[in-house]
Amino acid sequence: MVYVMFMFLFGLVLGLAAVASNPSPYFAALGLVAVAGMGCGVLVGHGGSFLSLVLFLIYLGGMLVVFAYSAALAAEPYPEGWGSWPVLGVMVAYLVGVCVAAGLFWGGWYEGAWVSADEFAEFSVFRGDVGGVALMYSAGGGVLVLGAWVLLLTLFVVLELTRGLGRGALRAV
Amino acid sequence: MNPYILAILLFGLGLGTTITFASSHWLLAWMGLEMNTLAIIPLMAQHHHPRAVEATTKYFLTQAAAAATLLFASITNAWLTGQWEIQQITHPLPTTMITLALALKIGLAPLHAWLPEVLQGLDLTTGLILSTWQKLAPFALILQIQPSNSTTLIILGLASTLIGGWGGLNQTQLRKILAYSSIAHLGWMILILQFSPSITLLTLLTYLIMTSSTFLVFKLNKATIINTLATSWAKAPALTALTPLILLSLGGLPPLTGFMPKWLILQELTKQGLAPTATLAALSALLSLYFYLRLSYTMTLTISPNSLLGTTPWRLPSTQLTYPLAISTAMTLCLLPLTPAISALLIP
Repeated sequence: MVYVMFMFLFGLVLGLAAVASNPSPYFAALGLVAVAGMGCGVLVGHGGSFLSLVLFLIYLGGMLVVFAYSAALAAEPYPEGWGSWPVLGVMVAYLVGVCVAAGLFWGGWYEGAWVSADEFAEFSVFRGDVGGVALMYSAGGGVLVLGAWVLLLTLFVVLELTRGLGRGALRAV
Repeated sequence: MNPYILAILLFGLGLGTTITFASSHWLLAWMGLEMNTLAIIPLMAQHHHPRAVEATTKYFLTQAAAAATLLFASITNAWLTGQWEIQQITHPLPTTMITLALALKIGLAPLHAWLPEVLQGLDLTTGLILSTWQKLAPFALILQIQPSNSTTLIILGLASTLIGGWGGLNQTQLRKILAYSSIAHLGWMILILQFSPSITLLTLLTYLIMTSSTFLVFKLNKATIINTLATSWAKAPALTALTPLILLSLGGLPPLTGFMPKWLILQELTKQGLAPTATLAALSALLSLYFYLRLSYTMTLTISPNSLLGTTPWRLPSTQLTYPLAISTAMTLCLLPLTPAISALLIP
């Protein structure tokens, strides 16, 4: 199990380096999918199955899909993946940096850092992540309303910024 | 802009600052700051020309980076100390990160490079909102944190006053001059923060009043460059006569209001045993004074060569409300005798 978690984390860092190495948006979106997927795997392994499911559905299935379609609209004639030298060079540089950081911080706090969200595993219905969702709707009601208001504000902001099609400030390519 | 959208955006601006003012939890304070950033973005881009969009993009990127650093610092503090209280941050690492994040938010040197370019791309009204309202929420947080590193704050303060002075010397665009003036004033505010936060608040409030006056004067004259100011004597003679006093108040000369914060800051710095710092700050104010004097010179003290037609323009009634300008100008010029009352009001 620890080995599976380690592989997920390894894939996460690899995906992060893949996104940060500045490829074309198509490939960066692929990197994001990998990162989110690995992160969900780590979450599941530590008891947050509901949170992981919601992340898959909403983030990957909703927002990333929209981003991928928008990236497809801004099509490049010569997209740069990880096969081209500028991108590969940056990715190798980031991975070397990760290895240096790993060498510096090796050992010490890692063993005790993974605390489960809850300890009852298969015996409890009230898991850590689902309990958090319940709290969000009860004690955190005010901030939830605030969050919903901010999302509505963001909608108006985006609509105002993209108003005007070809004559507006941000034009469709 | 559609009035309903404008109402929603202004409501978002107001709500964001209110939330940051009212919060004792870092997450809520961060939410208020992000709401402010979000709500002002369409206001900045409303004229839809490329320069405005460029200014909007630069503003968004810097403010988002600052807010992300702020969030990261508060989460680090939660990890290290287990609590989210704004006034209880004691660990030096999150404190320094938060100080730098808020410095980027308001435009303190050496994190100031975005401010002149962003302000240059905006119209004067939005620039006024950016220079005044958008400074309130970050300052509410700055005034509440317990600063850990004395050297960082003094370096931020002195660098800001010097860069604000030197940077503004070569400008002919009025919005960039006001941006560098903002940087210099923010430097004065940060300089005194660790010794007397109430003087910081006083400096902030007087700066807000003085810069509102200046922006409104420029807006009435529809002036964005110094040359336009040179012809304002024929269009609005009374205002042209008053504007040097407003500018000298910004420069910090007695007996105008702008002298109040500088006097109190220099006094407090000297009492704390930092006389060389105080001297350096006072000398850097001379740099800013030079470009305020240059504006007064071209606007009022001289009449530049112009054609005969420039001497008798139509003085049509302005559609701009002059009531706010009147109030802020009166406050910019006449508040110095109230120094004891104001400092007593602001000491908690």
